[in-house]
Amino acid sequence: MSILNELAKSIEEGKLQEIKEQVSHALAEGLSAEEILEKGLMQGMDVVGKRFAAEDMFIPEVMLSARTMHEALLVLRPLLEQGDQNVKMKGKVLLGTVEGDIHDIGKSLVEMMFVANGFEVVDIGENISPQAFVDAIKEHKPDVVGLSALLTTTMPAMARTVEAISAAGLRDDGRLKVIVGGAPVTEEFAREINADYYGENALDGVEVVKQALAG
Amino acid sequence: MTYMTPKFVFSPAEQAVLKEKLFTLLEQKGVRMDHAAVVEILAGAGANVDGATKMVRFPRKLLEDLIGKIPKQVLLAARDPRFDLEIPRADGGFYVRTGTGAPGFLDPEDGEYHRTRIRDVATWAKLVGSLDHINFCAFPSPVDVPGKTADIHALREMLTYCPKHIWIQPYSGESIPYLFQLAELAAGGAAELGKRPLVSFITCSLTPLDYKYMDLEVIVQACRRGVPIHACSLPSAGGTAPVTMAGTVLLAAAEVMVLLAVAQAIQPGTPGIATPLIFSMDMLTGRSLQSSTEAIQGAAAAVNFIKTSFDIPVHTYGYGADSPDIDGQAQSERSLLSLMVALAGSDILGGAGQVEVATAISPLQLIVDNDLAGMVQQLRAGLSLSDETLAWNDLLNLQPGGHFLNNDHTLMHCRSAFKGRTFVRQSRETWLKKGQVDFLAKAKDIYDEIMAGEHAGLISQEVGQEMAGLVQTADRQLGV
Ligand code: B12
Repeated sequence: MSILNELAKSIEEGKLQEIKEQVSHALAEGLSAEEILEKGLMQGMDVVGKRFAAEDMFIPEVMLSARTMHEALLVLRPLLEQGDQNVKMKGKVLLGTVEGDIHDIGKSLVEMMFVANGFEVVDIGENISPQAFVDAIKEHKPDVVGLSALLTTTMPAMARTVEAISAAGLRDDGRLKVIVGGAPVTEEFAREINADYYGENALDGVEVVKQALAG
Repeated sequence: MTYMTPKFVFSPAEQAVLKEKLFTLLEQKGVRMDHAAVVEILAGAGANVDGATKMVRFPRKLLEDLIGKIPKQVLLAARDPRFDLEIPRADGGFYVRTGTGAPGFLDPEDGEYHRTRIRDVATWAKLVGSLDHINFCAFPSPVDVPGKTADIHALREMLTYCPKHIWIQPYSGESIPYLFQLAELAAGGAAELGKRPLVSFITCSLTPLDYKYMDLEVIVQACRRGVPIHACSLPSAGGTAPVTMAGTVLLAAAEVMVLLAVAQAIQPGTPGIATPLIFSMDMLTGRSLQSSTEAIQGAAAAVNFIKTSFDIPVHTYGYGADSPDIDGQAQSERSLLSLMVALAGSDILGGAGQVEVATAISPLQLIVDNDLAGMVQQLRAGLSLSDETLAWNDLLNLQPGGHFLNNDHTLMHCRSAFKGRTFVRQSRETWLKKGQVDFLAKAKDIYDEIMAGEHAGLISQEVGQEMAGLVQTADRQLGV
């Protein structure tokens, strides 16, 4: 098996203990950080995503793959950041549950799926006011902000949050994308409140964002 | 070969182990509480409190003392006293509560699914008033009223149309005082409400081992008024609780006992009902399930453990489905769940009428659940044995062959078999000839019949006006 295939396999199988050494070994063999990420690790993650979508991998197994990816990136990230910027991380996602709502399990799954797909994720927690979202966006400068709401009664807070983000001028250049989700949230509601995207579930959310950032 | 007693709950020896672990967990690990006044009361009672982390640990002796004060009997009073519920039920059976908080409504009027509206809340209340085996009512979550006061609007509708006891699930801390005030108006004053609590409140832990301000505040206010609480824990095995159901049962039981103990520390004698509501996470998709095999086992084990170990009233889901629709799967799920938890000794079976893991309700399902409840009530009670039920005289006088159709004994008892109204028991030929009416079509007939009936409001004009004024104030104050 080639070094790259081996790296992909390690991500799929969640070889948390071995991955750092494998990445270092690949670098020593002369492979570039970009190659290792794109043709090795991300290939493994793609398989994980597909197997999860096909209900062939369980959530804790996906989590293990995500953690393994995270470990690998500890070695790679400094090199990638020095590199020619051709390859970047997939993007940075900021997640939070809206004001008045403390449900966080769905958000945790969304976080897992983004991490597993090579995104950097900042989770700012639950019961987050519109202003706190705005402040966090200014601080972390994400590409995508994801809002979660589990109560019909907190869906208005979701609308207010999107509004506040727009009002603060954070969407003016069109780069920041807003995605919303949660059991009572629908595609139609997302349109109504002027969000960019809606994710029916964690996997769906990641797919939508991937396409958006690629396109 | 000896027949083994089916082991669907923990054995006495296992329960002793669980009980030990429960006390150890709460003594060593403790819980976190986000309510300074409650933490202070607990500290005063002898709990070990860490002000910085808000962790509260319960010395075993303290917890035992507090648990010892939980009343063994609870009255859930009703607008119409004929519907008062005394727990435990004298015949050892259970009471049935409807699903709570559902934002989705499967409407029999047009067969469509839509968001719950305030008029659906009234429909729900009227149905409950007319169904014999549905004993009290929770309200669904309407979307055509302001979100911040949706619970307040819904409760007003309930108090107006439901003659039975009402369970209140607040949606935010700010609405709690208004919910109590509405109940007081309906009861005719605070003292009356305390004497005959027409409503009870739910209070929930934030699994694992966390307690929010709102839920602790519910207890404070309920204690002040002598209103009963349903002390809930909603763990999701694999998500917020151990993936192995035994661990989830232990965690849920511990969290529930803490809520009940808090009430006793604030006001000894406050009526409380232990309410573990057990979910399992689907490890493939992340969905919360309430009728998975494991969740059903967990619910049965949890109520049985708490009831036998602490001898207090217990409550869990008895109905509900993971299916999004009122299909065959939904019927299997609720049948298995209700039978298991009824046999495990639950005093209350919750969730009647709900599907899609507590996010939608269906009037037709509620009507079917009414029948299922009657059946399970009888199944749980078992057969009675006497010369009369043996038909001993008839047997002694029996000629081999022949039949019992003409016997006085048969005539006397022929009406006693359980008769639900929704099940279809025809031959295929009759069924085809009569238009293939299935159980849901029969439920629809019952629905039409109930809704066509007289449903006068239960509130005098004067009180109605006061309630409307209060709801208006709430809308204004809570910033709608
Ligand atoms: C577990 C639970 C709780 C737990 C929460 C624990 C926790 N740590 O989150 C506790 C007990 C604390 C709780 C509290 C309350 N709850 Co609650 N709760 C639930 C329950 C049973 C399951 C939710 C869950 O975890 N699902 C599993 C996760 C994985 O699914 P999910 O969140 O939908 O997420 C998936 C998708 O929606 C999507 N997604 C979610 N977010 C996002 C974000 C983005 C960007 C994207 C792309 C996708 C996405 O992806 C996820 C994974 O695929 C639901 C019923 C239900 N079946 O949904 C009720 C439910 C949501 N709760 C409800 C209520 C009313 C409450 C309370 C007000 C009750 C009370 N008085 O205590 C409080 C709310 C307090 C508050 N201020 O928020 C109601 C809501 C009614 C309504 N009006 O909408 C429900 C429907 C139950 C009911 N029938 O009453 N609850």
